[in-house]
Amino acid sequence: MGTKDRYERLREQATTSERDSSPHTLLAVVSLAISLLLLAPLIWVFLRAGEIEFARAVELLTSDTTVSVTLNTLALVTGVTVASILIGVPLAILTAQTDLPFKRFWTITSALPLVVPSYIGAFAFVSAFGPRGVLADLLSPLGIEQIPTIYGLHGAILVLTLFTYPYVFLTTRASLLSFDGTVVEAARTLNHTRWEAFRRVTLPQIAPGIAAGALLVALYTLSDFGTPAIMQYDVFTRMIYNEFGARRLDYASVLSMLLLVMALGILAVESRLNAGRDGAYVSSGSRRPGLIRLGYWKGPALLFCGAIASLCLVLPVGILLQWLLRSGTGYSGGGFTFDAAYAWNSVGLAAAAAAICVVAALPIAYLSARGSSGFSSLPERATYVGYAVPGVVLGLALVYLGLRYVPFLYQSVILLVFAYVIRFLPQAVGTTESSILQVDPSYIEAARSLGYHPLSAFRKVVLPLVAPGIAAGAALVFLTTMKELPATLMLRPTGFETFVTYIWLVQGAGYYGQAAVPALVLVGLSGLSMLVILRREDTS
Amino acid sequence: MTGRNSTQSRRRFLALSGTTATAAIAGCSGILGGGDGGDGGSDGGTGSGTGQLSLSDFRGSGPLVAQRDAPGGTSIEELPDLSGELTLYLGGGEGGLYLDLIELFEQLYPDFSANHRLEASSDLANTIIEENEAGASPADVFMSIDAGSLGAVANAGATASLPEEALSTVPDAYQDSEGRWVGIAGRARAIPYNTNQISESDIPSTVQEFPEAAALENSMGWAPSYGAFQSFVTAMRLIRGDDETRAWLQAMQDHGISTYADEFRVSNACADGELTAGFANHYYTLRVQSARESAPIGLAFTEGDAGALVNVSGLEIINGTDNADLAANFVRHVLSAEAQEFFATRTFAYPMIPGVAPVGDLPRIDDLNPPDINLTELADVAGTVDLLRDAGVL
Repeated sequence: MGTKDRYERLREQATTSERDSSPHTLLAVVSLAISLLLLAPLIWVFLRAGEIEFARAVELLTSDTTVSVTLNTLALVTGVTVASILIGVPLAILTAQTDLPFKRFWTITSALPLVVPSYIGAFAFVSAFGPRGVLADLLSPLGIEQIPTIYGLHGAILVLTLFTYPYVFLTTRASLLSFDGTVVEAARTLNHTRWEAFRRVTLPQIAPGIAAGALLVALYTLSDFGTPAIMQYDVFTRMIYNEFGARRLDYASVLSMLLLVMALGILAVESRLNAGRDGAYVSSGSRRPGLIRLGYWKGPALLFCGAIASLCLVLPVGILLQWLLRSGTGYSGGGFTFDAAYAWNSVGLAAAAAAICVVAALPIAYLSARGSSGFSSLPERATYVGYAVPGVVLGLALVYLGLRYVPFLYQSVILLVFAYVIRFLPQAVGTTESSILQVDPSYIEAARSLGYHPLSAFRKVVLPLVAPGIAAGAALVFLTTMKELPATLMLRPTGFETFVTYIWLVQGAGYYGQAAVPALVLVGLSGLSMLVILRREDTS
Repeated sequence: MTGRNSTQSRRRFLALSGTTATAAIAGCSGILGGGDGGDGGSDGGTGSGTGQLSLSDFRGSGPLVAQRDAPGGTSIEELPDLSGELTLYLGGGEGGLYLDLIELFEQLYPDFSANHRLEASSDLANTIIEENEAGASPADVFMSIDAGSLGAVANAGATASLPEEALSTVPDAYQDSEGRWVGIAGRARAIPYNTNQISESDIPSTVQEFPEAAALENSMGWAPSYGAFQSFVTAMRLIRGDDETRAWLQAMQDHGISTYADEFRVSNACADGELTAGFANHYYTLRVQSARESAPIGLAFTEGDAGALVNVSGLEIINGTDNADLAANFVRHVLSAEAQEFFATRTFAYPMIPGVAPVGDLPRIDDLNPPDINLTELADVAGTVDLLRDAGVL
């Protein structure tokens, strides 16, 4: 009884004193500076939009096409987000909390689809399930001449979900791993059924993680051009892309502004869903939850994991191999010789982006998780805006601003990495924040009462506990940077090629066979990094 | 403890990825490096370097290229040597094919090197215009796959003048009337079709008749977001006006047409039987034929209308270059007999100088009967995008 009182008191103290302490002011200043720096390039969108006549802008924004394409986009974003949660959360629970056989293997296969560029995934699905595709060829001897079309909304949702659900998987898994399983056991001893325990104890705990992943999925879907284009589904990015193609940058920027508004809308929805998360953290620690025994659910669980892995990995890899075998010797590809330097360029860029994102994410995530005022989440919210901007818009913005204001950085690696940080920082912020939320603030206070400086208390107590979240964030940034295409194309130094610029080049020229090998290497290399990160996550 | 673990893991990762990457890359270069043999030729005199490379190095191989006469026109041997470093902006996926040519030049002239940047033509045009507005572009030469992008850069005042020796070898129809850009390879609009499903005589001879062609109902494909298609629609607007073009687009949709991301896919879909016919540039069909020898795909041309448009890949020299002489000499090299033979036999494009014939049984460029329009006007893509959107195509 006495212990409990003391604990409560200590915790109360910790909460109040930590929230008022001055380090937060510094944190706020640093975080605000970072987010302003990241948002600065978007000024270009407004500059360009300002050049257009108001009446024309209104006419464009209210046209039937704009309206229908906006509705299409919303349908796609909603569909992909919901489907990603339905796949990502069960996979995270299966690999983190159950006695699923070959858990390590399934953890890797569940995270790995993220390394497949979604446009390659989309090609693979069209090759496999399109009219006259592999499936149709297999079925036609059986007398089945017509298969349902893969094109359209359902196809776009399917492909985007399969290659983005790992966001939800990874963030949810990070939450599960840093959350104290004894609470679930306590709930179980209170006669809660397994489902009730999950709903009342686990779910509120991992909700911030799920929300962080879902937000990434929603904003990625909003900014993606390639997949909907290949799946023949008309969305917003395509209008923007066409305006750029038509060299009408003023229109493109008006449309980009509308896209930013949609991103803000998604952020607002997510904020609302996440409003109750302040109470999310409880006494948390390194104790693992007890394993849930799957029993006779083992079979269906394995089937589920296997089906997802087959669709996301076996199928695209199979199609890539088919490209490799099918490509004839029609004409030579001497100009397309792959250079080992491309691989190292990719890895170097991705590593730099990941390192910078992790460092920049910490203050922002910490402030958002621990700050008291409503404003403390502003820098965190702001970082997501850059993520929703299509790569081509950001690329052109940096070309424009780079040329005028920092010409010595134009077409330099620095500006390129800056673009990656703008686009991918929220991935690190989201995972870091959801881990921080689960660290009981009283731990820090306890450390400080033992005489530690706030910073070293943070380093000794909080950092080890949030390491899995940071690692997952770094992995996300690394992998998405490896496969980023539009900004890389526009901002890279002339003559500086990477995996994706090479793949883009050869597949654009119709050399599918030669795109296959580097694409497979890209998947393999990224997969290895994922392995390392997942391993580290378990040992911390 | 954590530290040690992660260090170990990191080492293992580096070791593993290093091995994998090396193995894979070794594999790649074996596969990718194939093609033109002989990477020698970089030693030797600086005089007339052609001793190191022969016409066969420029010429492609395969059934479509057999039995060709030697090309006419100015030989590389008659041109001054290339020397120095050139920054090239190369437009489009097919730009990769131009790399082969540039590599040949680099083999031929040890003192010459080209730093290149490859992106979609329209993106590079935007970039050059932005760079020019900000002061200067790092690019010396823009090599684009369509006249529209070349025209946009020219109209933005971002070009320098081209050498008269180069302009004089190319017919007027395939260069800018003010000499700001010059065509280097022709790209004809065409109709790829599945030879199992239809014969050439079923294909109308003008695009206006397509919406009434019963044999093509619900079985055609196009790629409306693709630059070459948009140039075709721009041409139709120039010839017939916006209203008729909109009506045609509408009629094609009522007739039943599928949308693809690009024209290589349209052509492959014809070969696969997924489509009966499509709208695409001519060389995609030759490329499909070349890669899949038994593929049932044929090629038809319309006459005298937008469907018979011959667009060009072309070159322009960018304003503010420090390498004007080298750039001018480079342009002359690209229009040499050997380089034109390269375009004809390796990219299946229409050569731009009269001395070189197109590949296989392609009709001569003079037999094509393209519409009479100014290719620089193809720069008005914006109006076309509006129209496509208005008609519900985009």
